[in-house]
Amino acid sequence: MRRLSLAFPLLILLAWAAGAYLINNEFILPRLESVAGVLLDPLADRLGTGSLVENALRSIERVGMGFLLAAAVAIPLGIAMARFRRLNDLLDSTIQILRPIPPLAWLPLSLAWFKIGLTSILFIIFLGAFFPILLNTIDGVRGVKRTWIEVASTLGARERQILFRVILPGAAPTIWTGLRVGFGIAWMCVVAAEMLPGTTSGLGYLIMYAFNFGQIQLIIAGMILIGLIGLMIDTLFRKIEAKRFAWRELER
Amino acid sequence: MKIVKILAAVTCCVVLLALAGCVASTPPVQSGTTVGILYTGFGTMPTLMATKQIDGYIAWQPFVEVAPMAGFGKVLSYTGDLPPDAVWKNHPCCVLAAREDLMARSPDLVNAVTAATILSTRYVNEHQEESGAIVADWLAGKGNFTYGNISVSSVDAMTRAIYTVKFTNEPTDAWENGILKFMAAQRDLGVLKGPLSNSTDDASKALIFDTGPYRAAIQMLEGKRLVTPAPETRQLGIGYLMSDHDTALFVAVKKWQYFNDTYGIALKPRDPTQSKPDLVDLLVNGQKVAEIKLVPGEFGGPLMQLASTDTIQFVLVGNPPAMASIDKGNPVKILMALNTEGSGVVVSSDAPASDWPSFLQWAKERSDAGKPLRIASPGKGSIQDILLSYTLKSSGVTVKEVQV
Amino acid sequence: MHGGSWNGEHGRQVGDQGMTSLRIDRLTKEFVTEQGEIVSALSDLSLEVGDSEFVCILGPSGCGKTTLLRIVAGLDQPTSGAVLIDGHPIDRPCPKLAMIFQEYSLYPWRSVLANVTFGLEMQGAAVARRQEVARKYLALVGLSDFASHYPYELSGGMRQRVAVARALAIEPAVLLMDEPFGALDAQTRNVMQMELLGIWEKTRKTILFVTHSVDEAVFLADRIVVLTKRPGKIREIVPVKKCPHPRDRTCRDFVEIRRHVLDLISEGSAD
Repeated sequence: MRRLSLAFPLLILLAWAAGAYLINNEFILPRLESVAGVLLDPLADRLGTGSLVENALRSIERVGMGFLLAAAVAIPLGIAMARFRRLNDLLDSTIQILRPIPPLAWLPLSLAWFKIGLTSILFIIFLGAFFPILLNTIDGVRGVKRTWIEVASTLGARERQILFRVILPGAAPTIWTGLRVGFGIAWMCVVAAEMLPGTTSGLGYLIMYAFNFGQIQLIIAGMILIGLIGLMIDTLFRKIEAKRFAWRELER
Repeated sequence: MKIVKILAAVTCCVVLLALAGCVASTPPVQSGTTVGILYTGFGTMPTLMATKQIDGYIAWQPFVEVAPMAGFGKVLSYTGDLPPDAVWKNHPCCVLAAREDLMARSPDLVNAVTAATILSTRYVNEHQEESGAIVADWLAGKGNFTYGNISVSSVDAMTRAIYTVKFTNEPTDAWENGILKFMAAQRDLGVLKGPLSNSTDDASKALIFDTGPYRAAIQMLEGKRLVTPAPETRQLGIGYLMSDHDTALFVAVKKWQYFNDTYGIALKPRDPTQSKPDLVDLLVNGQKVAEIKLVPGEFGGPLMQLASTDTIQFVLVGNPPAMASIDKGNPVKILMALNTEGSGVVVSSDAPASDWPSFLQWAKERSDAGKPLRIASPGKGSIQDILLSYTLKSSGVTVKEVQV
Repeated sequence: MHGGSWNGEHGRQVGDQGMTSLRIDRLTKEFVTEQGEIVSALSDLSLEVGDSEFVCILGPSGCGKTTLLRIVAGLDQPTSGAVLIDGHPIDRPCPKLAMIFQEYSLYPWRSVLANVTFGLEMQGAAVARRQEVARKYLALVGLSDFASHYPYELSGGMRQRVAVARALAIEPAVLLMDEPFGALDAQTRNVMQMELLGIWEKTRKTILFVTHSVDEAVFLADRIVVLTKRPGKIREIVPVKKCPHPRDRTCRDFVEIRRHVLDLISEGSAD
């Protein structure tokens, strides 16, 4: 299985190298070497925007903050909505309307409300992560078996203990999936968010800057880096899931 | 029965689409020459040129110079040389604009910023090569631009480009009238729908200009007495374009020490190690007077939008976007010029055109063949757009926007 | 969700002496269906359960036996009537009563030991003490070696034994069991029945055991409470004290009682 999942990217790289050679027009398909050259020199300054590494760290920082904010709001809200029917009914239609709106579309409003700076960026990232986490939390809490809750009651658990000892652990795998998906979307939003004026760092910013100057190799290198970082973090989420939430798969 | 209905509906759709496709692919026959304009940022232009999706483009420096240097195009004409000559020579380009409420509240501060810009502009004119290197540092960290497989040093590109930009501040009558010509062109293009759409020349000037700060600044500089403004508690913002038209700003910041020591006024960057500092302190007579963030923008329009929401209070921008914004009610005024000329038209390296007349000939041939030329331009309503559209029209060419 | 109140009316009084009385007094339970109909699940049901008695509640499907058990556990409320333990009415889950469900009751994210200590954890007992108690009851159900295993590693029968240990760990007076062996195969079921009797012998808990298996009821119970079809009323209470444990399924008394109970059930269903 492992080898197969490595084989395909290698195949793509080969196709790229061959294609670039055949097409012989760097505007259409930059050479693998030129892009690789950019990636293999990650500490070099790029067009005065800083190095790939610096910008990557900035982006990760921002996505992390927006993501944590989204989790901090979405998880409690999700629990409350799953618990209190009225609250769910109250908010459900609003959420269903807001959910499909791409975070990118919020850019002008974000700027108008939060002005230039970190807050407006975090808002966009927040929107990206919020809905998957919320919806998965609601699902996860609803999916907690009634028997588990009743067992806890009969064994003397109070409402608060049930929340922390039965509901949260029981819902945790589903919530974790929501977090993983949410982070993935939040990471995608990085490029959009860093397009906001006033941003002067980050991978998204670097790519837009390179785009403004038509620096294709740099754009592609940035894209690959975004993909790799996204993959790494997703893998991290999955590893933790496999370790701590194996029980969900193995439940009969 | 259901299947029949579905098939009928599908067939209808297909027929409609086919008709639509037919209509789109055979444009009405034009008598005369048509040229298509494609609006896009400079970033896509080299690729579009290299893949022959456009035949040329108009842009501001340094994006004109890099074409011949990287070999994906040649300079057809700098904008100052476009016909009709008398119209475009020394044509106004970028301006310094500021919000009226700031001017009313802190006139001394606005005068100080204006003075700093004037000093800096003079320096640029006296030290062109050094200034070119500073722009290269600011815009590209002195790195290389790679187009295709050719790398161009940004320092080389900027120093070559800077000679084609005329840096001047004085809001002369000729300059003001030049701006009104742009306004007229904007009216023709239907861009202005507010008070500027039919105001008299005098009324227009009153609406868009306020040369008070310029005159006050000149007076201070001549008398060698700078008034120290009252410290500003709010953080202010200056918006600028990623273009060497704004060289005055870059030089003012990078050479802050020189201006501070020599004239007692400076825009000191908080972090001097940054290639393009985003936060500066305005120092007058050794005192910190204001904290100013520097906000780069891709086009004039978005920058004017930021000014209208009071996110930034000063803008270094092309005059058409400024006027269009004022026309919509944005409470800003144009204070003075930053530069004239400084843009150019680039065509593909193998184009059968080397000057305007041969370009028109080429345009006619292609138009007749049913494949009209496509020229890319940044930002609808920008100087380049207006220059190009107007010049083409006055040469008898029909201009059509190319839909992507 | 129901929380339990640990303090208050259910403080140990009568129980301190080791004698517990459980009384079901004229219990009636009605539901309103989605269509707005009123359905009567239990009707005017009264029963006294003696200390350390093993009572089986038996009846056809839908006769309300699970409903009855849930009301006794405090998980549901009656429409009228009451359940009293040691004289105090039950209106919510209480530490004197522990319930064992048919399936999916173990917490899969906790080890066997952590499952068993759950109730003591909720009580606030110290780590050392609860582990000690848990291990004691794990030993009682014969699963000492599986303390650090996880539920998914255990068979159905083993899981139910853990459930029993978990219930016993809070040292309730009464065990309420809702068809606990219903999901197990016949072999395991028989084994578990024997084990339960062993545990009952050692711990002397009062047990209220719901089942729809006549054989199981006759094998286990001191008394069998046979319910009618909905609305559940007591059709007859059949004593099984005649046969000493362990009961021989082939002995004459056993067969007779079983036939009698079967008749009661099939009559009830035929109505």
